[in-house]
Parts: sequence; C-alpha cells; structure tokens
Amino acid sequence: MAVADTTAPAPARGGPSRGKPARGEPSAVADLAGETGARVWLRTAVGHGVLAALSLACVFPIYWMYATSLRRPEEVYNVSLFPWPLSVGNYTHVWDVIPIGRLILNTFAVAALISLGQLLVGLLAAYAFTAWRFRGQTLLYLAFVGTWLVPFQVTMLPNYTLLYRLGLLNTLAGVIVPNLASALGVLLLRQHMASFPRDLLDAARMDGRSSWSVLWTVVVPNLRAPLAALSIVLFINAWNDYFWPALVLQRADSVVQLGLRGLFVGVEGPDWGGLMAGSGLACLPIFGIYLLLQRHVVGAFVRSGLK
Amino acid sequence: MSGAFVEIDALPRPAATAVPVAAARPSPARRLARALPPYLFLLPAVGCLAVWTYRPLAAAVNLSFFSWNLLPTTPKDPVGLDNYRRLLELPDLWHALWLTAAMTLALLLFTVVLPTVVALWTSAIRGRGRAVYRALIFAPVLVPPVAGAAVWQWMLDPTSGAVDRLIGHPINWIHEPGPAQIAIVVITGWHLLGFAVLVVSAGLAGIDDEYTAAAMLDRASRWQTTRWITLPLLSPTLVFLALMTVLMSGQLTFPLIDTLTQGGPDSATTNVYYLLWEWGFQNFDAGFAASAGLLFFVAFGVVAVGLVRLSDRLTFHDN
Repeated sequence: MAVADTTAPAPARGGPSRGKPARGEPSAVADLAGETGARVWLRTAVGHGVLAALSLACVFPIYWMYATSLRRPEEVYNVSLFPWPLSVGNYTHVWDVIPIGRLILNTFAVAALISLGQLLVGLLAAYAFTAWRFRGQTLLYLAFVGTWLVPFQVTMLPNYTLLYRLGLLNTLAGVIVPNLASALGVLLLRQHMASFPRDLLDAARMDGRSSWSVLWTVVVPNLRAPLAALSIVLFINAWNDYFWPALVLQRADSVVQLGLRGLFVGVEGPDWGGLMAGSGLACLPIFGIYLLLQRHVVGAFVRSGLK
Repeated sequence: MSGAFVEIDALPRPAATAVPVAAARPSPARRLARALPPYLFLLPAVGCLAVWTYRPLAAAVNLSFFSWNLLPTTPKDPVGLDNYRRLLELPDLWHALWLTAAMTLALLLFTVVLPTVVALWTSAIRGRGRAVYRALIFAPVLVPPVAGAAVWQWMLDPTSGAVDRLIGHPINWIHEPGPAQIAIVVITGWHLLGFAVLVVSAGLAGIDDEYTAAAMLDRASRWQTTRWITLPLLSPTLVFLALMTVLMSGQLTFPLIDTLTQGGPDSATTNVYYLLWEWGFQNFDAGFAASAGLLFFVAFGVVAVGLVRLSDRLTFHDN
C-alpha cells in the first residue's frame, strides 16, 4: 500500500488489494453497531441468496451453451436441464461445416501477436515515461490518454483505406498491424513501473549500463508477474475483439468470430447445435488460460482498472 | 503478485532528472545523445498512435468536407459543410443519439449500481464464498461477444428458448422493439458486470479500514457508514466506471447489435455506432460517415471533460 499511495499520481484510487485481510468482520462490526444476532443472520442470509441468484444468472448462459452443445443433434430443442445422453454430434458437425480448428488457430495467432506487440511497444514507451524527465512528456502522455476519446468509428474509414493501399485487406496482418500499440498497454505498464524504485534504476545506470540493458536486465525481470498478467488481459482483449476483424477480414474462414457469424444464418434458421458447439470451442482457450492463471488475471484487472 | 521491489517503502524521488550530474557544458552532439533516448523508446508507440489514431482523425476531418463513395477510382467531391448540414437535419441521427444515451444510462445500472452493491456485499463475506461469487460473476467477461450473442439468441428464441420457457410467456425478444432494446442492454450488462465488480472491489480494498472502524466506534449504523464514509471514498472508482461506460458503450453493444438485431426492428436498436457503420460501409457515404464520426468525437470530448470536472468536484480524496 505504502508505495501505491506515495508514488502513484492518484492515491485515492486505491492500491492493490494484495495482502489485505478480509474486510469488516461482520460479527465484530455488528457488535460495535449494537445489532442483534438475528438481524445479522437475516442480512447475511439475504445477501447470500441474492448473490447466489446473481451468480447463477451470470453462469447459466455459459452452462446452457455447453449443455446444448452436448445434446444429440436431433435433441437440440430439448430443454431438460441436464443433457442426456451426452453426445459429441454437434462438435463433429461443426467441425465438418466450418474449419473451426484453423479458425481457432488463426484467432490464437492474431491474439498472441497483438498482445505481444502491445506488450513490447508498451514496455518501451512506459519505460521512457518512468525513467526520464523530458521535454514534451506531459503532452505525449496526454496523447495516449486522449485516444480514449477517439471513437473507433471515426478512424475506421481512413484506416480501412490505408489498409487497402497497403494491400493488407483480407489478411490477418491487416488485423494485427493497426493494433500493435494500445494506449491501454502503455498506461497500465506506466502505472506498474511507477512503483519501481528509482534508486535501483539510477544505481544500474551509474554502473555504466545502457538504458536498454537496464530495461531488460533490471526492470523486466522484476516486473515479471505484472507483465504476465497484463499480457493475459491484452490477449483476452484481442481474442474478444469483433469490430476490426469483421471489417478487415469479411471472410468466414479467417477468425473464429467471423466463422461463427456464418452459422447464424441458415436456410432453416440458425444451426443451434453447431453454433453452441462452435461458441463453446471459441470460449475454451480463454477459459483454459483463465483457469491456469486466474490469480494473475484478477490481479491485473484489479490493479489496472483503477490507476 | 509483483516482485519484492514493489514492497519497498516510499523512496524520495530525485527532483529533476535521473541523469547523473552533468559535466559543465557538454557539446551539442553529446547533449543531443543524452536527450534522445526517451524519444527513441517512445518512437514505436507514438508512431503507431500517429499512424492509426491521429492520422485517421485528421483524415476524417478532411474527408468530412467531401462526398466520396469509398471507391479508389471515384474522385472525391468537395461539398463544404454540406455533410454536416445534412447530418443535423436527419431525424435518424437524433433518434440514434437518443437511443445511445438511453442505452448508456441503462448500462450504468450494470456497470456502476449493481457492481457497487455486489462488491459491498461480497466484501462483507468471509472466506471462500467471496471468491466463488466473484469468479462466477466474472465468468461472462471471458466469453467472446460473438459466442455471447449466439448463446443469448438461442436462449431468447421465441419457440424453444430457455428464457421464454422459464418465464412461461412467449416474448419475441429480438423482433420487438422494446424487448430487443432490453435484450441488448442486459446482454451487454452481463458481459460487463464481472469486470465492474472487480474494479469496485479493488476500489474498496484501497480504502483504509480505519475509517469504517472509527465510524463504527462512534455507533454509526452500517448503512450510515456505507453512505457517508465508504461511498464518498469510492467515488473516484465509480466516476471512472461511469466514464468508461459512456465512452465504450457504443463499442460494447456493437457486436450484439450486428449479430442479433442488425439495428432493427424498425431501427429500435440503431445506436450512433451502428448508424455510422451503415453510412460508411453499407451506403458507402464516406464523407457523411466521417462528419458524423467527428460530431460524436466532439460530443464525447465534451461529455468526458464534463464528467472529469464533475468527479473533481464530487469526489474526495483520501490524502
């Protein structure tokens, strides 16, 4: 906490939750406020009830997606809560209809390259902002913050024509290149680096090391955890992006977002079984990454969202 | 979660530069070499920003004074302020603006109000329960918008969808104006709620427990403590979320509108972003779309500045 409060520009926005004990022990607090045990119990019960209902409402669509996808194709319209007998028919079907494996691989490659680029470019820029005081610093920083105000729809037409002139329309590179730098990455990394002890930087430089080597041998190794977390967040962002791939690619056999969109339209209405199986597959990589690295992701969101 | 270094207590920050004491009057070449590094490190990021954000912004300004159908072979026709005049006279625009504002306001329920309640409640829970609730509420954040659109469309299907069976009353969610609007907002809210809860929880964790403890000692009720201590201290976080919602709501609802309703029925879900999309990429009226986009850019700038001002006035800092 101490570091966050003294070195970050907006101290009141709260520091990382790291290491904090659970807040307000209900019983002790209630005693102080002079409440009776029954009232506390009732409140706790209501709280749990509402939270459980809300959690259920949040997860149900995800459950339903997998439940439907695991029904037998001819039983898709069955609404029993538990699919039985289980079948992978919808999965084999979607595998036949769209090249889902390649779509997921393409999306993975695009998301990985975008997040890697954003991380690298952001790292360099954030380092510049933290390690030096230089002319135009505030102005340049504002230029990054200012991108939040530029609606994507304003820049899409000129960017589209630029991609056309570069011959990158309908290519995966056309999705990746305009996304190589994100203001988000720069701003978040700057926040993380702001809590890096300057003495350490100065000492390393006094040793006669170049700024470049200080960045890679001193800063990066010590920021490994936040860097990993941030890269996951950027990866999820890139994986979930819809607008720009839809604009640039327009081909259903490119990335998973567009492949799925094709399943919405069919002669007899959407192909629900295939759509659920495909959507379920499209979610899996992100779910997997999240489950593996859950603590880092939450940490990154917690620290990043705020400061 | 971060290296041990972050734990080191506040270090006094050198006042001016990190550069070791300079020798008297270095040569211009050396001074340049010394000043250059930060700019070199910034070059890739600033370059990307210039090419993909600020150049197109300028190009859009330019384009807004022309009539052009996006075809490289057709010349651009200068039309002066005509695009803007047409734009402001168009009833579609005002309808879409109103709809965007209404949807944004409705979304605030999911990005500010509900998350605050959930975060306050979960923070009062001890042990594993808290983590479980937060994880479950967070799960939809991980679902790609297209997959979310697919499963919701399936659940909202009027003949065999789970939702209508659950409420036992057939509603044609996607094809009736009112229900379609509700559906778009709720699905977007479903996607965002978990993220907002996380942000508010982080804000709560940053509030010093001693304030609430002191209030409790003064025999303030739980509600009084929340209302007069916790919420004011949380206000920067809440304003941040509100600002994000205002700036991003159009982008966030877009994939759903595009896949579920295509702006319909009867333009009931055509917000400004979808309108821009239609003008630019369906009617191929590039100049017109550019002028509309710029108008929104200016409007967002005004709203954002207003919100930041408001937050400076309303919020209070725990210094």
